[in-house]
Order: sequence, then C-alpha cells, then structure tokens
Amino acid sequence: MQVVKKWFQERLPISGEDLKAMTNEPVPNHLKRWWFCLGGTPAYLFVVQIFTGILLAFYYQPSPTTAYESVQRITNDIAFGWYIRGVHKWAATLMIASIILHQMRIFFTGAYRKPREINWMIGMCLLLCSLVIGFTGYSLVFEQLSFWGATVGANISDTVPVVGVYAKRMLLGGDSYNVNTLPRFFILHAAVLPAIMMLLIAIHIGILRIQGVTEFEFEDEPKDEPKHFNFFPDHLYTEIIMGLVLMIVLSVLASVLPALIGPRANPLVTPEEIKPEWFFYVSFRWLKLFSGTFAVLSSGFIVFIMFTWPFIDKWLVKKTKYDEISVWIGIVGVFLLVGLTVWEALVKH
Amino acid sequence: MKLQTKRTIIGLLGLLFLASLVLVQALETIKKREEAGLGPIHVSIPETSRSCVNCHSQLANTPGITDHWTGSTHARKGVGCVDCHKAKDGDADAFTHFGATIATVVTPLDCSKCHQREYEEFDQSHHAKAGNILASLDNRLAEVVEGAREPFNPHGATPGRPDITGKVNGLASAMSGCWQCHGSKVGLLGTDGAAITVDQLKPFLKGDEDTTKENLGQPRHPELLKLVAKTDKGQPKLHPGSWPNTGIGRLNLDGSKGSCTACHSRHDFSPRRARQPENCGKCHLGPDHPQKEIYEESKHGVAYRDMKDKMNLDSKHWVLGKDYTQAPTCATCHMSGHSQNGGKVTHDPGERLSWTNRPPISMALDTDEHGKIVKEKDPAKRSKLVKHTAMEKRAEMQKVCLHCHTQAYVDGFYKQYDDFIVNYNEKFAKPGAMIMTEILKQGLRTKPAFDEEIEWTWFYLWHHEGRRARHGASMMAPDYAHWHGMYEVAERFYLELIPQAQEIAEHAKKEGKEKEAKAVTDVIDAILARPEHEWKNAAKKEDVAKARAKVKARIEAEAKADVELKLKQDKARAEAEKKKKTEKAANLKKEKAEKADS
Repeated sequence: MQVVKKWFQERLPISGEDLKAMTNEPVPNHLKRWWFCLGGTPAYLFVVQIFTGILLAFYYQPSPTTAYESVQRITNDIAFGWYIRGVHKWAATLMIASIILHQMRIFFTGAYRKPREINWMIGMCLLLCSLVIGFTGYSLVFEQLSFWGATVGANISDTVPVVGVYAKRMLLGGDSYNVNTLPRFFILHAAVLPAIMMLLIAIHIGILRIQGVTEFEFEDEPKDEPKHFNFFPDHLYTEIIMGLVLMIVLSVLASVLPALIGPRANPLVTPEEIKPEWFFYVSFRWLKLFSGTFAVLSSGFIVFIMFTWPFIDKWLVKKTKYDEISVWIGIVGVFLLVGLTVWEALVKH
Repeated sequence: MKLQTKRTIIGLLGLLFLASLVLVQALETIKKREEAGLGPIHVSIPETSRSCVNCHSQLANTPGITDHWTGSTHARKGVGCVDCHKAKDGDADAFTHFGATIATVVTPLDCSKCHQREYEEFDQSHHAKAGNILASLDNRLAEVVEGAREPFNPHGATPGRPDITGKVNGLASAMSGCWQCHGSKVGLLGTDGAAITVDQLKPFLKGDEDTTKENLGQPRHPELLKLVAKTDKGQPKLHPGSWPNTGIGRLNLDGSKGSCTACHSRHDFSPRRARQPENCGKCHLGPDHPQKEIYEESKHGVAYRDMKDKMNLDSKHWVLGKDYTQAPTCATCHMSGHSQNGGKVTHDPGERLSWTNRPPISMALDTDEHGKIVKEKDPAKRSKLVKHTAMEKRAEMQKVCLHCHTQAYVDGFYKQYDDFIVNYNEKFAKPGAMIMTEILKQGLRTKPAFDEEIEWTWFYLWHHEGRRARHGASMMAPDYAHWHGMYEVAERFYLELIPQAQEIAEHAKKEGKEKEAKAVTDVIDAILARPEHEWKNAAKKEDVAKARAKVKARIEAEAKADVELKLKQDKARAEAEKKKKTEKAANLKKEKAEKADS
C-alpha cells in the first residue's frame, strides 16, 4: 500500500491532507435541510441523463425513416428499454423542475448578489441549455406531436427579425424539416449540449467552491453551536440519500407512467392540437397571447432581464431604496410562470 | 424581510410550482395515453346531438348505443347522432323525433355525405350486389326448399305458445339465414301487413335524368307512404321480415345498396374490428365458403393468432409495411392500404382478385366498366368489354404479397393456384356442367332446382366441395384444398354424379327414351374416355380378373420352381452322402490290406 502511495506522490505531489482540505471545506448548517440541496439535484439528474442517454443511443437511429421504429424497438423489444426510456423522460422533467426550484431559492434569498453575479449568469446558461436539450430530445422520438412541435418551434424562431431565418436554418439544417434535421438534433442533444453543460457545471461548482456557499443565519438556529459542518462525509451523505430517493421516484414514475409513443410523424397531416413539452408551455402561451414578432422579441427581452437580473436588482434597490423589491417581483414572476403553464395545459388551442 | 419569511415564501411558491407541475404532467399523461390509444377518449358532443346523447344515455333508453358511440372516432371528431340519422322531409322512412327529422335506417347513401370515395368503391363491389341473390339458386333453396314463398297453414298448435297463431312464415329461413349476410329488401310495414320496398317506391337514383341533389333517394311514389303503419309517436314501422338487417347487399328504401354496418358495426364503427378476420367470419364461413376457417388453417392465420398484439390494430391508417408486417388478415390482402400503393384503402374487395371461384366453373375476373364480370368468350369482343383485367387485379394483389415474399415465390404460388383451378374446371366442373345440361336438354330432369337427387349432388359438388377446394388453394390451406376439397369433389363426381346420371339414362332407356338416354350416355362415356378419367376404366371387372389370374399364375409358377429346386437339392445331398460313404469304405478296406501286409 505504501509503495503505491509513494508511487503516486512522486508523480502527483498532493498529500492526503491537501486532498482533505480541498474536498472537505465546511459548509453552512442550512445545507442540512434537503430543500437547500436543490443545486445538487439537477447535477445528479444530469448524471442519470448521461447514463440513460448513452444506453438509449446504443439503439436509437437518428433518421426520419428509422427514428420512430428504433424508439418503438427500444420501448417494446429491447430488454429494460421501456425502463431506461421512462427514467430518461422523467429525469428530464425533474431536472428542469429542480433547476427552476433551485433558481427560485437563489432568487428569493438574494444569493445572486455580489460577488455571485457571474455564477447566476452561468446558472442561466445552464437553464437555457437544459431547455434546448429538452426541446431537441423531445423531437428525436419523431412522433406526430414532437415533429410538429419542432416545426412550430423552428417557425417561431423564424419570426425573429434579421437573425430569425438564419436561426431556423441552423436549427433545421435547411429551410424546412428535412433529412438533416434529426441527425442535427441528435448531435446537439447527445454531444454538443451535454459537453457545454458539463463545462458550465464544472465552472458553476468551481466558482461556488472559490466563493463558498452563501451563509444564512436563521432566527431559530441555536447561537452556541458550530455554524458549519463537514462536506465529507456529512453533506455527501445527504446528497447520496437524495440521489437514492430520486432513483426510487424515477423508477416509480417510469413504471407507473411509462414513456408512451404517439402516432408516427406525418408531415402531410397537421394534428388538431400541437403542444411542446411542458417547460415551453409558458412561452407557448405567451406567444399565443401576443402577435408573432412582438411575442418572440418580448420573450427574448424577458430572458435578457433574467440573465442580467443581479445588475438590474442592484439598480432597482438603489432607485427604490427597498432591499426586498426583487422578492415581490419574483412572486409575480412565479405566479406568471405557473399561471401561463397551467393555462396552456388546460386549453386545447 | 426576515430570512424565515423568505423561507416561507420559497416554500409556498415551490409547492405551488410543484402542484402546477403535477397537474400539467397529469394532463400531459392523459393526452399521451389518448394518443397511444390507451386512455379514455375525449368526446365532442355536437350541439345538435346533445339532447339525443343525454336521453339515450339513460338506462331506459338504450344506453349501449351512446356507450358504443363514445368509443368511436365519430365521437372524437364531433360527429353526432343527428349527423348520420338526419333525414329530409319526404324521405320514405323519415319521422320527427323530439323536433329533429330523422330516419332509423342509416344507408350507404347517408354515409356518403362524408365518405364519398368509400361509398363509390363499395357501390362498384360485388359486396354491394350481394342482395341480388333474390330469385337465385341459393335463395330458392331457402325460400322454397327450406321454407315456402307463400305462408302456409300450421299442422298443429305449438304447446306453451298460444300466441303463435295464423299462418306459418315460410320465408323465415331466408330472413334469418341468407338475408342476414346478403341483405334484405328493406320494407316499410303497410297497414295491410304487406311490405313497401324500393320496388314500389322507385326512388330517384344517382344518374337518373330527373334526379336532383334535393330529391336523391326520395320516393317517386310518395303517395304510398300514406299506406305505411306508424307507431303512436308517428314513426313509420319497418317490416319485421326485412329489419333488423345489416346484410352487405341490403336493398335500401332510398335505392342505395348495402350496409356499411355489415363490417363497421354500429355505433362505434371500430376500424380495429374491421381489420380482424373475425369480422368477415360472420358470413365467410361454413360448408360452402369457409374462407375464415381456411385462413385459420393457413400460415397467415397461424401467424396472426400469434402476433395479433404486435400488429398495431389501433393505428390510424394501418398501412402494411409501415404499421405492421407480422401477418396479413382478410382486410390486409383484399382491402387495406400498403406501402406500395401509398396506403390507399379500397372498399371493393374484388379489386385484387384474379379468379372468381363463386360460380360452378371458376372464371378469370375480367370486369367491365360497371364492375360486372365479362362472360364473353370471343377474344376480340371480350377485349372491348373488359375495363379491368384479371391480371391487373392480380398485379395489385401481388404488391401486397411482395411485402413478405419474393417475386419468385409469388409467381410460384400463382402457378400452383392457376393449375389447381384449371384442373378443377377441366376435370370436374365443366364435365359436370355438361352432364347436367345434357340431362336437362334431353328432358330427363326438370328445370326447377332441388327437386331431383342429381341436382343436390351437383350442388354439393361445386357449391360446397368445389368452392372449399378452390378457396383452400387460393389461401394456401392444404387440408381444405385436398381432403375437404378435391377429395370430396372426386368422390361426389365418380361415386354419385356419374352413377346417378347413368341411372337416369338407364331408366330413360327402359321407358323407351332410347335416343335421349343415348345422348346422355354418349356425353358420360366421352368424358370418362378422356385420359384424366382413364384410371376409372382400368378398374373394370375383367381387368381385375385378368390381373388376379396373372398374379395367381405367377405365384403358382414360383411355388413350382421352389419345389423343383428343393428336390434337386435333396438329390444332390443324397449323392454326396453316398459318395462319402463309398470313399470311407474304400479307405477302411485299404487300411486293412496295409495292416495285413505289415
């Protein structure tokens, strides 16, 4: 054992103590509560997505003539294919939900404020990447709804002045849905976006590690006890337990509500009802409320506002002299998000 | 703001978001299940039919109707009761029902309002003409032989049923039998008990000069409607002998032919059911045309039973080569769309048939512009009449076959099938028809069918056994082609038809009709002298005696040769023994002499 340790230390001059110091920075007590661990949840689900995605990619064939059949084969014929596909589908839903919950926590506690503005923006990038990866993944099934969802999505991007037409072409690999579209979506979904997200997650955690977790002091916390606890093993155990609970939840969802498959995509027949994945309901309803270009530009503006919120918040606080202005704006924002999403879900058109 | 307050806000908003997520996911799951054909179907009740659905959903008012409709595509697309049952004032069976003018019987003409192409295809088909059996051989069998065309007096009471009085309805067998598949002539019940049908109403038909869009299907003699018996609610009564009926060639009051519900059961009109062979099995089974049983015996039917669950029977278009390839059903080969024809479904099941095996002698299914079989024998005249050739139809069928079989395989099958049909036609059907025609021509049997034994024999031969054999070969069911088919055809021909025909000739001869008897005997002898019937002649008694004598002689010769051989062997053995003894004695003598010398 000593020989091995010596061999490594000669090449990587890091002592056990250094390693412990690097990985075991004390974390604030509030992280003992699981609802403050929502940053780790999407990260865990991202790993689940990578793992199940690799297994699905073994059998998936990204071409309009074979995609639907290969998904059918995965679902009906491949051993545990239905389970892997179900877990992949539900993990995507929970991942985006947990990102939103994580973002809500950050927002309402003002954890994006100086010096954490950059990490907020990286988080926003991760949210946008998750939405795009969700959109491309939904399209890969090549069923009627996903096909028309992708077509409508591309047409929406077309309404953006000047760059819209290029964005659409870049997305579809042509002026309309064609043989290059599915392979393009697949490459984006399975290679480009995961790679970008991995890099962003690494930077996100790196910055978190440098800046440390935001310190909160709750009124009901005992004053005479230590305010921190060890990352390893204490917090890691919390995350592991979260992971196990999530795995059970995912397995139950995948078994009870398995990922189904609708009718095969038919470019000649427009379905009566076209709906994107649920996380786009809010923007879809927004687009239906306003006319084309305005709706798209206003959506883009909202994303821009969210992106630069740390600076806007600073400006607002300065202007209004009210430190909690963002909390009230946030409440309105969440109600808007929930309201538009439920509205879109309840109506047919 | 206190941190605790923020925590509460986060908690509440988080819960609100999660609750909305659960709701959205639940709605999405329901939608997805509907799409995959698993969940409850969303029903759109059109305003015009809302009161019908509400009333008929109640237990006392046939709730099964609305239940079935709820599961239909019609219900999902918002096609309600009134859309199909709607009638115009002046329609033969129209009546006012809670403010709406409707009719009980929905005809193909009604369906054509939305399904025009399907209606036209069906109207061209042999299915639509199935009601034309009235006055045919089959119908005579049911209406006369099994029953009676005129009501007759009962010959005693029915114990326990004092309500059964009056004359016996001799058409009962036709009504419950033939007409339920072939279709009845729908009649309104006259106040005198008679039926008022399309024959009396003479409706305005499509193509008639005086037909307009408004009067299409309405009676030319509306005055007859005053003679129709009505219920106390004013609903015209339908003649119970003609209704209920969903026969495929039903003759409707509006002049249209057929009934879409023959295959698309009301009120759910399930495409899934129409795609399954059991649906066709309502009529295509039994001793005379057991297509359903033949299919079940074939490899196609065996594969279907095994793979049914994987055949996407619920898919919207059910296109062979796209939605499934596991096995064909009746619909697959005869009607459904496939990847080689752009998924086009046909409602004329004869579009892909190259032989008609329905008549006594099979015919190539060349049809004219009206879809009728061309019987003209002169090639030049025939080619002018034919619009769709049998071989064109075969090519259409082959496109289906080629989804799973190579061209060589398909060609091989059709060679076997053609050979089989021609063998049946030439060896039994044409000769049988010749004999029957000759007997009739010579006045040795009467024209009405089924009053003489030989007519039953001939009917069994072609109508039952002959069809079984031909259908068996057409759908690759060897047992039906042979044991239930050609074996019985041959037995019926050699052991019944020929002896009965010979007996008829013999009787005629005894009765002094020598010329007529000779004419029939000549036909029989000429047929039996043909090489394919030669084996029958070889079985004459003298031939058997000769053969037996020959065999006896051979056996005796062999036995004699055997005895001679044994005698020869015995003689040789005795001589060898004798020689051995002589040698031994000589040796002993020699030894003694030597001893004496020494």
